[in-house]
Amino acid sequence: MTLLLRAIVAADDAGIATDLGLHAVAGAHVAALASACEATRAATETELLDHHRVIQAVFERVGCLPARFGSVFLDENVLRARLIEREPDFTAALARVGHRCELAITCAWRDDNPTAATAVVPAIRGRAYLERGLARSRRERERERRADEIVARLLGELPLEPAFVRHRTCPRPAVAVSMSALVTRDEVEETSSRIERVGAQLPDVTTVVQGPWAPYTFAVSE
Amino acid sequence: MTTTGGRRPPRTPHELDVPLVELVDRLLSRGVVLTGELTISVSGVDLIYLGLSVVLSSVDTIRRAGADV
Repeated sequence: MTLLLRAIVAADDAGIATDLGLHAVAGAHVAALASACEATRAATETELLDHHRVIQAVFERVGCLPARFGSVFLDENVLRARLIEREPDFTAALARVGHRCELAITCAWRDDNPTAATAVVPAIRGRAYLERGLARSRRERERERRADEIVARLLGELPLEPAFVRHRTCPRPAVAVSMSALVTRDEVEETSSRIERVGAQLPDVTTVVQGPWAPYTFAVSE
Repeated sequence: MTTTGGRRPPRTPHELDVPLVELVDRLLSRGVVLTGELTISVSGVDLIYLGLSVVLSSVDTIRRAGADV
């Protein structure tokens, strides 16, 4: 039976697989939870979001390491062999972040993205072309500088260890800051409230806090 | 999901896309990797990134985001 990997949990927690309609493949210390799947065609948005729903269902019950979408194993034996190869890594990661939650913090520009590649302008030549390019470059640098300020503001307000926060500035034209914060379940509400308060004071971005999610960003070492 | 914004103007369509793109980014590029025999490809990844608000308008994330406008 072909299996799609969903998450890694402690071996002692593998019993939740039955309740969730998943297959558990256990090693000595950790277990892989997987779904039966058909891997002969490309997945759609539906399968992608189902992956998130399954992981959330696991995460709401026990600590887990969410799996990146898309790894399929031909049968339980193959999955078990791969799991055992990586078991020390997964055991350590599960102890480190498995019981924590990820909050996704996104600061989206409120204007119409003047630096976006899709902001098409009429074809021009010569000096005007160069001047337009220079102006665009300046806007991009200004946005990057502003995004750095926003990051500094958020980090200054959040009582989080640096190892528990990761961020990117200007990852897409619409986005100033994409940040992931790793918090305990008890810290979710307070941390979200703090972010909301800071976000409300930033006039040029809309701040969205999502989660708590399983610790996608922190499940692997960078 | 919560959103801040106070009395500012309603969010624009591109802002509504942002939350789901953030989730998709995590599903496709983060999380533990245990190399399988096969890797499922995702059809229309560009579509996922560019047209989320339309394609996935029924998703709870977007629904909640819309409710905040």
